[in-house]
Amino acid sequence: MPPEGQATFLQHHFPDAPTQEHAARLGMWLFLATEVLLFTALFTGYALYRYLFSETFHAASKYIETSVGLTNTVVLITSSLTVALALHAARQGQGRRAAALLAATLAFGGVFMVLKGFEYHHHFVTGQLPGRFYAFAELAAPGAAMFFTIYFLMTGLHGLHVLIGMGVLGWLAGRAWRGDFSPAYHTPVELGGLYWHLVDLIWIFLFPLLYLI
Amino acid sequence: MAHATESAHRGKAHGAGRYVAVWVALLVLTALTYAVRRYDMQEPWHLVSALLIAVTKATLVALVFMHLWDHGGATRLAVLTSVAFAALLIGLVLVDNATRFPYANPPRAASYQDPAGAPRPPAPAGRAPAH
Repeated sequence: MPPEGQATFLQHHFPDAPTQEHAARLGMWLFLATEVLLFTALFTGYALYRYLFSETFHAASKYIETSVGLTNTVVLITSSLTVALALHAARQGQGRRAAALLAATLAFGGVFMVLKGFEYHHHFVTGQLPGRFYAFAELAAPGAAMFFTIYFLMTGLHGLHVLIGMGVLGWLAGRAWRGDFSPAYHTPVELGGLYWHLVDLIWIFLFPLLYLI
Repeated sequence: MAHATESAHRGKAHGAGRYVAVWVALLVLTALTYAVRRYDMQEPWHLVSALLIAVTKATLVALVFMHLWDHGGATRLAVLTSVAFAALLIGLVLVDNATRFPYANPPRAASYQDPAGAPRPPAPAGRAPAH
């Protein structure tokens, strides 16, 4: 017998709320698995060209500003914390608190994108561009253009995910503020949070591979 | 169904403290990976140490932030399958290229001279030669 209030979100084809929640979570994880495989293709390209041009990749990574990458890593890790705390608040029915934490996450995402924008601007100005647009005389070894092709593809696709994640979290923040979530129903916050954590997780690998080594 | 109910309840039992603890651990590991880079090591070890730290961080995020610790069963299977296929693709592509005979891959700066003392090919037009 479902408790009062569940009828608003429990779909007719699920027997009870936990089953629906379980199905939603599994569906989200299947989607995240495809996201992992999407990025795996790019990581494979990175691994292959790093193997083929290891000296050049090592030299090229020195031209990417480590301090910006480090700051962005801290920003994304902290944004993951605020999302986790937002879900915690939503679970306890504290909608306003969840909305504020989601808004903080959104702000962290904004900081990340702005810093990334400054980085991209620097690469454009200095000619560190993909493929035939590469015009950086200081590092003219074979494979240097390929490093920046992979750099832009990986950080670009990741940045796109940050933007999509910000859109999702913004929508969730609005719903949380309106009081849509309760201890009985907070699945959207959980699934949106999962997406944001995946974005953080991919950056955890991008940061050392592109900036550090 | 019993499983879903149980996992939903287990997920709610935790306080927020462990999120903060994981956040601190992630910051420490980030500082560590930054510090290790400045440490002088032989070539593969920078890559190995950076990847080990990244995998540790990713595991923390997946288990605690993404609640894989609480939610067993099919979700774990989905994650492990994607990770296994990622490892297969990256691993086999690398093994393929590592076991090719030398001239099947583009020449490297360090391996131009070996294995048979082949002459160094001319650098492409408009590019400085590799150093």
